[in-house]
Amino acid sequence: MTAIQKIFIDKDVLTFPLTRRILKNCPGVPSEVIRNKKELDSNLASSVDPVGEGKRHLRLSRQKGTFVKPCPCTPHYLGCNYFIINAALNCPLDCSYCILQLYLTNPVTTVFVNLGDLWKELDVFLARVNKNFIRLGTGELSDSLALDEVTQTAGEFVSYFRRKSKAIFELKTKTAHIAGILAEPPAENIVLSWSLNSEKIAREEEKGAPSVADRIEAARIVSSKGFPVGFHFDPLILYPGWEEDYARVIENLLRSVNPSQIRWISLGSLRFPPGLKPIIEQRFPQTRIIYGEMVQGKDGKLRYFKPLRLELYQKIVGLIEYWGGGRIPLYFCMEDGEVWRKALRKNPGRKEEIELILSPRITESCQ
Amino acid sequence: MNGGEFRIGGVTCEDIALCKIDLKDERFRTSYHFNLDRLILSIRKAGLVSPPLVRRGKKRHVLVSGWKRVLACRALGLTSINVLVTEDKNDLRLFLRALYENLATREISLVEKAEIGRKLMGFGVDRTTLLRIYLPLLSLPATSEHLEILLALCGAGRAVKEFIWEKDVPLPVVQSLLRFAPVDRKALLPLLRPLGQNKQKELLDDVWEISRRDNITVRKLLIDVGAPETLASSKLSPQQKAEKIRRILKRKRYPRLSSYEDAFDSVRRKLRWPKDIALLPSPYFEDEDLFASFRFKNKKEFSNKLAKLQEMGSKKEFSGLFNR
Repeated sequence: MTAIQKIFIDKDVLTFPLTRRILKNCPGVPSEVIRNKKELDSNLASSVDPVGEGKRHLRLSRQKGTFVKPCPCTPHYLGCNYFIINAALNCPLDCSYCILQLYLTNPVTTVFVNLGDLWKELDVFLARVNKNFIRLGTGELSDSLALDEVTQTAGEFVSYFRRKSKAIFELKTKTAHIAGILAEPPAENIVLSWSLNSEKIAREEEKGAPSVADRIEAARIVSSKGFPVGFHFDPLILYPGWEEDYARVIENLLRSVNPSQIRWISLGSLRFPPGLKPIIEQRFPQTRIIYGEMVQGKDGKLRYFKPLRLELYQKIVGLIEYWGGGRIPLYFCMEDGEVWRKALRKNPGRKEEIELILSPRITESCQ
Repeated sequence: MNGGEFRIGGVTCEDIALCKIDLKDERFRTSYHFNLDRLILSIRKAGLVSPPLVRRGKKRHVLVSGWKRVLACRALGLTSINVLVTEDKNDLRLFLRALYENLATREISLVEKAEIGRKLMGFGVDRTTLLRIYLPLLSLPATSEHLEILLALCGAGRAVKEFIWEKDVPLPVVQSLLRFAPVDRKALLPLLRPLGQNKQKELLDDVWEISRRDNITVRKLLIDVGAPETLASSKLSPQQKAEKIRRILKRKRYPRLSSYEDAFDSVRRKLRWPKDIALLPSPYFEDEDLFASFRFKNKKEFSNKLAKLQEMGSKKEFSGLFNR
């Protein structure tokens, strides 16, 4: 169970079914109807650790804008034509490198409970898709399953997307909260994916997340039930001993999960806007990951000096190809053509080409 | 105003002997590190136009506002001055009176803002009120982070405060400096003084990050980079000393990048690259592209530069520019 200390409810969502369900699943957690949102924001701003404080609170609100947006990716690097569904903002896990610490203006973990509006919006959005498939997921501005014990919405997403064959829907998580998924029959277009790292990084930098071995075990269970799975080695982090540590994780992963069930593995190295650095230093004084040899990239973010990134990627790609038999689609998150060419021996010119790399089974069935 | 007592707004206006003002009692003081020359000239030529405010004491009065004016009068050798006298016993109210007067009439330095914050807390203002009400009043963001910087600055030593005031050091650099232990701050000051603000921040961040990355003390790091010998050198100017250490630290912080820069420079030297044609890699070698640029005034100059470039391209060392 997540460590929610208090639930704040917007007055206009009090009667929503999801509000009632969440309150029922959080017995003993005090709740308060928000009368003055400014006061809530101001109380958080004056906290010594607004981000940490926000993770201990849950706000139930209405998504007043659009739920579905194109993934912003980053300027000057190759994107992958992904769409994000903002059904929740922020997450109770506390990863030192998480960009949400800087990115979100409101640090309170927020669940948008007007799911009826989401399904309607998705119906319209998917009806307008004029290509064979589109990839979208809920795991960009939140962890897709971190709150599922409370919200129990993962199963609803699976039920909805099972009927939408044009959509490849991804639930991306660092948790092992798979009970809601296992209650549903699998579907070829629904991918459960896990963010993975070395055990050392998971232990030291991903506060509140289960061990990598537990995540792999959850992936094994889900994939053995028939769900396609994906993995994100992101952010890969350089530190003394990284090669051995990542090699161990990749071996464990590809011995545990049948490579034929793996829809994709993405790779990305540690990167963040300069403004995140002081936040990380203040919130995680023990961390050393921000002191790597990082320089400003074309998008202004700090990232490892390129020759270091290339060494890192070449090693990881080699390990995945060795243990996975070279059959697993790989892609980079926020990298440029030189990295694709030198680390993956591929030369995608546009994001549509990357999109094609990622969904071979759907592509084959559609051609 | 010359002689004669009168009351206005709850205060009386009186002539008092300067020695009756207790300058050791600094409880309401907000002004530090100032130059009195212009004020002395003004009082000499125009007199004390605006009387300072004091609180009546049994033996001596406590100065509430007008520190610079009183000190300037003392410097001019005046023995008595015209002051406003209040009977108000509420310290916080009087301090705020002085604060608002200062806010309306001059720029408050960062060191002074820190002192104001400390005094407000001393007068019973709680942390939340300080953060929400007074930080914005002092033109600072109302965040816990900024309050912490102010409070840390209060506790900094005199040398650090003077440095921050003298060089008008901006908040991000102050924040970087205050991360260090007092003994380390002191050791870093001679390196910071000759540098501009951007380089100050860069040097502080490099020292901080190397010491954290390598788990070594700042003292050991400074010894490792030869700071004591460099600072003791009589051949180098303070600027040259600081720049030398800054460059060594940069190499230590970014070893791979430095080796790439060295390799690139080495190839450029081997090629005897013409000085009138600029050749640069992309920033941090992030792109494969190189940039060559030159100026020309006429066709002859243009052809001449092109010929030089052609010559560069034909040398066998040229491909070394693309080795990554």
